[in-house]
Amino acid sequence: MAQPFLKKDDDHDDEVDYSPFLGIEKGAVLQEARVFNDPQLDPRRCSQVITKLLYLLNQGETFTKVEATEVFFAVTKLFQSRDLGLRRMVYVIIKELSPSADEVIIVTSSLMKDMTSKTDMYRANAIRVLCQITDGTLLTQIERYLKQAIVDKNPVVASAALVSGIHLLQTNPEIVKRWSNEVQEAVQSRAALVQFHALALLHQIRQNDRLAVNKLVSSLTRGSVRSPLAQCLLIRYTSQVIRESASNTQTGDRPFYDFLEGCLRHKAEMVIFEAARAITELNGVTSRELTPAITVLQLFLSSTKPVLRFAAVRTLNKVAMTHPIAVTNCNIDMESLISDQNRSIATLAITTLLKTGNESSVDRLMKQITTFMSDIADEFKIVVIEAIRSLCLKFPLKHRSLMNFLSNILREEGGFEYKKAIVDSIVILIRDIPEAKESGLLHLCEFIEDCEFTYLSTQILHFLGIEGPKTSDPSKYIRYIYNRVHLENATVRAGAVSTLAKFGAMVDSLKPRIFILLRRCLFDTDDEVRDRATLYLNTLGADGAVEDMKEFLFGSLDIPLVNLERSLKNYEPSEESFDINSVPKEVKIQPLAEKKAPGKKPTGLGGPPPGPPSTIDAYEKLLSSIPEFANFGKLFKSSAPVELTEAETEYAVNVVKHIFDGHVVFQYNCTNTIPEQLLENVTVIVDASEAEEFAEVASKPLRSLPYDSPGQTFVAFEKPEGVPAVGKFSNMLRFIVKEVDPSTGEAEDDGVEDEYQLEELEVVAADYMLKVGVSNFRNAWESMGPDCERVDEYDLGPRENLAEAVNAVINLLGMQPCEGTEVVPSNSRSHTCLLSGVYIGNVKVLVRLQFGIDGPKDVAMKLAVRSEDEAVSDAIHEIVASG
Amino acid sequence: MILAVLFANSEGNILVERFNGVPAEERLHWRSFLVKLGADNLKGVKNEELLVASHRSVYIVYTVLGDVSVYVVGKDEYDELALAEVIFVITSAVKDVCGKLPTERLFLDKYGRICLTLDEIIWKGYLENTDKDRIRRLVRLKPPTEF
Repeated sequence: MAQPFLKKDDDHDDEVDYSPFLGIEKGAVLQEARVFNDPQLDPRRCSQVITKLLYLLNQGETFTKVEATEVFFAVTKLFQSRDLGLRRMVYVIIKELSPSADEVIIVTSSLMKDMTSKTDMYRANAIRVLCQITDGTLLTQIERYLKQAIVDKNPVVASAALVSGIHLLQTNPEIVKRWSNEVQEAVQSRAALVQFHALALLHQIRQNDRLAVNKLVSSLTRGSVRSPLAQCLLIRYTSQVIRESASNTQTGDRPFYDFLEGCLRHKAEMVIFEAARAITELNGVTSRELTPAITVLQLFLSSTKPVLRFAAVRTLNKVAMTHPIAVTNCNIDMESLISDQNRSIATLAITTLLKTGNESSVDRLMKQITTFMSDIADEFKIVVIEAIRSLCLKFPLKHRSLMNFLSNILREEGGFEYKKAIVDSIVILIRDIPEAKESGLLHLCEFIEDCEFTYLSTQILHFLGIEGPKTSDPSKYIRYIYNRVHLENATVRAGAVSTLAKFGAMVDSLKPRIFILLRRCLFDTDDEVRDRATLYLNTLGADGAVEDMKEFLFGSLDIPLVNLERSLKNYEPSEESFDINSVPKEVKIQPLAEKKAPGKKPTGLGGPPPGPPSTIDAYEKLLSSIPEFANFGKLFKSSAPVELTEAETEYAVNVVKHIFDGHVVFQYNCTNTIPEQLLENVTVIVDASEAEEFAEVASKPLRSLPYDSPGQTFVAFEKPEGVPAVGKFSNMLRFIVKEVDPSTGEAEDDGVEDEYQLEELEVVAADYMLKVGVSNFRNAWESMGPDCERVDEYDLGPRENLAEAVNAVINLLGMQPCEGTEVVPSNSRSHTCLLSGVYIGNVKVLVRLQFGIDGPKDVAMKLAVRSEDEAVSDAIHEIVASG
Repeated sequence: MILAVLFANSEGNILVERFNGVPAEERLHWRSFLVKLGADNLKGVKNEELLVASHRSVYIVYTVLGDVSVYVVGKDEYDELALAEVIFVITSAVKDVCGKLPTERLFLDKYGRICLTLDEIIWKGYLENTDKDRIRRLVRLKPPTEF
């Protein structure tokens, strides 16, 4: 490395190709670093070498442990030099090298000397370096200096100590928390940056003390905060206080709102924006509160600064989700942003407009978007597509122009995610807007003619198989489908064969022609395609019941795929063929106990392994191994464990309810938490006087329950077959207790009989319901038909909010929420929730719940139930009526 | 936190890359993401005109300064406006060090000084100093004038 480095003159424009780091090599630079050891230090040369080391590190180069140690030791020699520029470089390179704990000791004394130096800037830098490389022990030694530094007159020293405090709080919180008084003093500093850093640190120290944060905010909002940065922090902390105090002050004015509103008139844009955003994010913000914030954001929309435009449009985009009307005034300003050079801003503007626009503006907007789409990246396009989808669902009459738009962009170039978003949108529109069906299906057909994504082709073929036969002229789709059999890969060909079969099953007039096409597929090169063709030819050609065939072709696989996969893996090839009915249908087992005794540590299930996926299998194995229960038949459902004892009691007991067709078995999982005791002959005495339909038939005691080694005892009840009987059971744990000598671990021979009262247990309607989801609720609902439908309305009375009411009904019924409908958007006034499940007796049940809430928070609910048995539909209504 | 500060030349080669709180295995991803973002959007952009993007919960503000492009990435309290402040401090301090808009050569010539400048502006992901005159003094170990 003999290149000239850092020439004196700055004008190198004629040598632009020449880089001072050209050909730089780690080994050579490490060699050069030996100059640090020279007895006569050359500060300029040393600085150059450090710069090269920094350049290497900034390029992502790494040093081995030996190399780093060598350089670090050499660098420590440079403390001998009094050259200011070099000293500054030394501070930086030590931080970059981040020496290990055993090496730090070498520089500690030099740095501590600098830390107490009379030169302020040595102090500031030494603090920063020390705090970066220090550990807890060293920190206690320098704590005194750091506390002094926080209130140092020189703002640079104070800031260095404060920012160090912010970092150290992560690793040594107990030490930094002792600096509260000094930090508090620094918050009052006249230096703007010191105040900013002190405020950040003080808040972090006190963030878990709600009262202290409240006090901090109260005092600062009255006084003056010097820097805009600190003012922004204060606004954030104020919003936090408002959020936390909102629940206490239901009536009257919102605390600190005036402060936020006042900040909207601050001279710094940063502060104005922060306040506006804080206001828009207030819980249950009113239009009166929102208006001034929207006004300033609207002004920012036409700012010359892109960052302000972005910030404003991003915030308005969020507001549009909850208060679209409030944002409408900004529409004109936002339309001009569609052509913004910054594509992020343009995309946000478009999606906001799509949320706030009215029906008459749709066509105009679409025209603008068409020109815009060609020059944005796929990830932005996806956002736009999603917004268009919601718009179309909002204004179904506009489906023609929106569907045309989607089909046009489907033909253009684009990646998988983008194409998938478009296809998903078209599918949703077809499902939700009947008039859009035929044109949508044709667009999809045209797309698969030239689709490079196997996944999308198969999805579309599957969808065509379900929707195509229901159209006025199903035959027009056959050509598109059959073309796939000729032109595509095996996966798509197999999909096309299945789709053809569905047309054959549903449309009698097409059946003979479908047969011809399927027969041609018998000679396909791929075995899956051939097998499918053979299967469908036989199924369609068989004389069996048409309903069975349709069930076979269209019925959804009501078994979670993970369960099927596990069962297939466990299946051992034998004479007995695999029985799909043996696969458990429960979606997932809640691993945690229902919260009767919160805060309790899980006691484990004892015998069976507690891992959630295998729990139901394990339960089944465990129960079938007990002769008393062997003839109860197939286990329908096992509940999550319900705690029957409070946390931290002598004996921890929880219970799992196993439901059979004509029986219920309670499995009591017991843990003895007293080391000095051994329990024997443990049983639970169950009083079923409040459960009239249940009769105890068997009880299986636990022979011995040593300390901290869980075990189970069981009690079985008979109940009327297939009837969802409910009732309350009180439980008493009875056992013989024997003293144990802790030193030897041996128990005494004689024991005393004792009892321990447990909490009550209930068998509820939800225990007779399996959580089984359906992949497409609408299809499942329609195919179930209205024959056994029961609809009624209920008044649920006053509720905290809609989400609480929705949750209560889901829990009452114990069914699986579908398509994410269990989530209620905040501030919603109405909501539809879809549930599915399997009721005892293996009866499929679908539920559609429509909720509405009025001013005084009274919730009304319309419950529509469809099932395969009207008695079951009635039973669901009874559950709700009595719940 | 300010997650990253990155300088690249007009071809997308990295000149300075400083990450805070970003796991080593994600850095390469961020590097290529930012460079691509610049390549897609920075053509024809005026000096110091800010561009902004967000990627998940992370904000990115970037710009062109002479022959180099500058990117700052932040999250939480360092949103687009705070980052605009950060990048403003960075660009004015770099111009101050270079004496004019930097060419790539000039930037590399002043590399050591620029490293010190960045060290004064951002420390472990937090904005520490904002005034270019003060920063100029601090890198020379001179106390700020107002003191």
